[in-house]
Amino acid sequence: MSSEKKNEVILIIKKIMKKISEDVIIQKQMPILDLPKIGYDNTVWSNEKRMLTIGDKKIEVSPDSVKKIPTFAQYLVMANAIKKLLDEDMESTIRGMYYATLSNVGDEKNRQKFWNNQDNSDDAIKAVELLTGIPREEFSVTSKPKGMISGPIKLRVGGDIIDCNLGSRSTSQLIPTNIGDVQIDDVKADFVMVVEKDTVLSNIRKSGFIQKYNAILMTGSGEPDRATRIMVKTLNESWNKPVVVFADADPWGLGIALRYKIGSESLSYDSDRLVTPNAQVLGMMFSDIYEYNIPEVARLTATDEDINRANDMKKKPWLQNKKWQKELNLFLNKKEKCELDAFFKHGFKYLAETYLPQKLRQVGLI
Amino acid sequence: MKSLKPATSVLKQGEQKPPSNPQQSTKIDKYKIIYSKKAESEFFVDNSALAGFTGERILYMAVRELIENALDSCETFSILPSIKISLKTHDQSNDLWILDCEDNGTGISSDKLPVAVCSFLTSAKYMEKQQRGLFGVGLKMVAAFSTKDTDFPIKVWSKSMEEADECYFELRTDIGTNKPIVLLKKQQHEAESQIEGPSGFRIRVVLRARLLPITKNKIYDYVTQTSIVNPYAFITFETDDGVFSFDRRTSIMPTSAKEILPHPSDMDLQTLKKAISKYSGQKISLPKILCYSFQKLSHEKAKEIISNANLDFDLKDTKISYSEHDLIKIVNICKKTKFQNPNTDHLSPIGREILTIGMMSEYTIVSNKNIETMHSSNSKRDTVMANEVKKLDQDKDDRNIPKIETHNIGVYKSNFSVKVLQPVLTAYTSRTGVINNRPTIIETGLAYGGDINSFKLYRFANKIPLLYDEGSDVAREVVSEVEINKLGITKKQAKEQFSTNKESKRDRVFEVLPIHIFFHICSTKIPYKTAGKESIASEGELKYYMKSCLSELYRKLSTQIRKELKLMEAENKMKLYKHYLPFIVGAITESLGIKNSKLDESFSLLIENHLTKKSSVVDYDVVNDSEPNPDLASAPSLSLSHKPVDLKKRKKLAISNNVSEIKAETIKNTKSNKTSSNSKSSNSNSSLVVSDKPKEKGSVYKNKHK
Repeated sequence: MSSEKKNEVILIIKKIMKKISEDVIIQKQMPILDLPKIGYDNTVWSNEKRMLTIGDKKIEVSPDSVKKIPTFAQYLVMANAIKKLLDEDMESTIRGMYYATLSNVGDEKNRQKFWNNQDNSDDAIKAVELLTGIPREEFSVTSKPKGMISGPIKLRVGGDIIDCNLGSRSTSQLIPTNIGDVQIDDVKADFVMVVEKDTVLSNIRKSGFIQKYNAILMTGSGEPDRATRIMVKTLNESWNKPVVVFADADPWGLGIALRYKIGSESLSYDSDRLVTPNAQVLGMMFSDIYEYNIPEVARLTATDEDINRANDMKKKPWLQNKKWQKELNLFLNKKEKCELDAFFKHGFKYLAETYLPQKLRQVGLI
Repeated sequence: MKSLKPATSVLKQGEQKPPSNPQQSTKIDKYKIIYSKKAESEFFVDNSALAGFTGERILYMAVRELIENALDSCETFSILPSIKISLKTHDQSNDLWILDCEDNGTGISSDKLPVAVCSFLTSAKYMEKQQRGLFGVGLKMVAAFSTKDTDFPIKVWSKSMEEADECYFELRTDIGTNKPIVLLKKQQHEAESQIEGPSGFRIRVVLRARLLPITKNKIYDYVTQTSIVNPYAFITFETDDGVFSFDRRTSIMPTSAKEILPHPSDMDLQTLKKAISKYSGQKISLPKILCYSFQKLSHEKAKEIISNANLDFDLKDTKISYSEHDLIKIVNICKKTKFQNPNTDHLSPIGREILTIGMMSEYTIVSNKNIETMHSSNSKRDTVMANEVKKLDQDKDDRNIPKIETHNIGVYKSNFSVKVLQPVLTAYTSRTGVINNRPTIIETGLAYGGDINSFKLYRFANKIPLLYDEGSDVAREVVSEVEINKLGITKKQAKEQFSTNKESKRDRVFEVLPIHIFFHICSTKIPYKTAGKESIASEGELKYYMKSCLSELYRKLSTQIRKELKLMEAENKMKLYKHYLPFIVGAITESLGIKNSKLDESFSLLIENHLTKKSSVVDYDVVNDSEPNPDLASAPSLSLSHKPVDLKKRKKLAISNNVSEIKAETIKNTKSNKTSSNSKSSNSNSSLVVSDKPKEKGSVYKNKHK
């Protein structure tokens, strides 16, 4: 990370602190931290951007009530910790930040923890992002890497080049979470294929799919982290590579696929950097269960939670096209779901050599 | 049949012949059975356990019997009881005690007195109504024990309503014949008079007994608990530890019980025969006799019963004598017939008002060891409180209180003294039902918080405290089985927030709560578990009624408990939040890289001002703004937690400000004794009373902050 950016962040944090200090000493008024509200009730669908964006609800955090004082303290302590991290030119995961700021509050009689759990400190990190308007990658605060990438692409990290095509039949590279320090160097692939799970990815990789179709294979290993989403977006929008997404045929899997395409409620404030509206969710469709004759034994019965989720999804504005309504209705009728792995029932190579090529051919990618 | 014959002949022989020479003992003599008759007095002295007079409990039972007689004597004619009882060592080496009890009841007329004191199974109380004593045994037992164990006479002074002069007796019991021995009898004229009021009774006996500390405590418990359910009684209790006064806190008395006719569903051969013989010779038909002798039985209904019984004689013939075979048919029909529920006029429940008054000023005798460990201010406050109560009473009904010399409330020269507990809140509820074939009223009360600092269960039957065998009492089961969450708190909260003794290892959660639970059962047939009359069995629906009462009380308390929980939570947070300030200041100064000592000071001032302003707006009704706040003036500015967070103070103020002064109101009502207790008319009634301590507000406030 460039020292310029670093200094920018430090400066902003100092500005915030200075403002509070002046409010208190000179103006003698309650300092107020203004930030947008995060959550489902402040997430709106933007038709224009084709993604979830943050609404205009705000929250004010001020030490003016017993309830808010701890929150106020948490935000300031986190901001100060981030400044220290940058001062020392170090990097930390969100868990590291949690530990770095961990302490007890109170005396012998009434003791409580500064953070109840890591969720609290994660929220404080988000708050600092919102307060400074700078994404956390630029604070050097990251999470554990879990996204993977394989295929004809080169990444430049800290002066070294990672060639993701090397050994791409047998292994994948972790997508670095300090994505601010990563530059994409050279992309030779024709398209990018994102799958939900790493197990599926390794099966496809092993079959020689990358070489045969000149594709980049990526996975977020379930819920994708920010680095993976940013990488997908960059490949699509800066490198003009079409992106297709495959996930399990259940409401949960569809939800994960949609993270790439429309974003999520908890990160809606950062959708502009994370969401790839042009990504195509190709599978696995609920109709594929029947079209590809997945045997009954490999199908799973939908839970009540699945049904509720699907009913919710049916109402979402981004799923209001005929194709998705039909798929969801099919699911609600049959109450059956299926994992991508179920194709292995047809043989280990069936997924990579039959199903995926057929799907890709339908959209004209191969 | 043959084998029986020799046996009967032996029996006859034995009765007829004087005892033969023991040396000539034959096989027949060996099986000889001697039948003899025993006087009632001898029987009861030999089987004193039947009446509860066992070993170390003798003094306890004696005190108990005398107090109960005194109260019964007053209540029958709605006289406000004033009882002076004293128990003092007379001769330590021989374990002799003098027990003296004086009341202002009806007294006993001089011709009946010796028998009433000495002859067993003589009583004015053999009737169907609720009274403390029933059997005509207690007082006689005291007399018999005195006669049996000592050579002192039993001294009795009595001034009966019917007689002008006071009578003085010296008596002893002839245990062998159940007859009194009158050693001395004389009329006392005014000058020598012992009894001040218009009537009264005083007895002074010497008893031989050992008084173990545990029994002594039971006696104290007995007297104090009696004062809780009889707050209209003025009791002084003098012992070697000093004089303890239990003031009269109200002059309302429970409606006295009336004698009633038996209920027909409770009819048996004996009651029926008794009824018929009562009207024999008068020309009254059988149906009329029935409807005169039993309640809830109209003439029509009586006729119907008799016709159903298929008796083959003319109903209009009033002279025939009925055979038991005929009568049992009537009894059988009555057992099968449905009647209206029995009425409860013969019961005298304590009632909502009186029990509430009792609960709001619980007198207890405490040993000074405990007092020292308590806040020194507490005892001071109590004295003030007690004096107030006394004053209040004397002002209101000066006339009603006979001039009995009042002693100082706390007698600090000894190890024991009287303490008044004032709860924050009391609740009352009652149920009426039929248990043991008898109408039964179950009253329950609950006192919470304030001076009460631990759990205690109080049990009463017909206004008598039950002190022994709590473990096997139905009340204990009920308390264990009603879930604590009816109070609106979880077990965890109860343990962590309300426990006064955090180290308490008791796993039954309710026992950590500062509540006193009162159960009072009124019936003419209390389902006692044992002959000792100390614990009540779970008979019929009794337990069901008790549980439903307790649940209701818990529900009533839950509002208060929840409020306290909220306050406690707020208080904890308040305490905590000032610890967040260093984090805030630290983060700012570290980020800016400059030390600004002003920031700390300004920030804490800012927040403190803001919060106090805010809380005084929110709690305007509870925090009295005009009150000087010593904290704000003297405490350093950083201490943010003081003013708005003093939970106890807030609680008390809140209560004193919001709730009408119930105690004062009830006392105003004094002169009408007619105040009928509501529990009779409705099946259940209940109340919720929050105590008020307006006068000591200031002192409480100061004490809390020392």
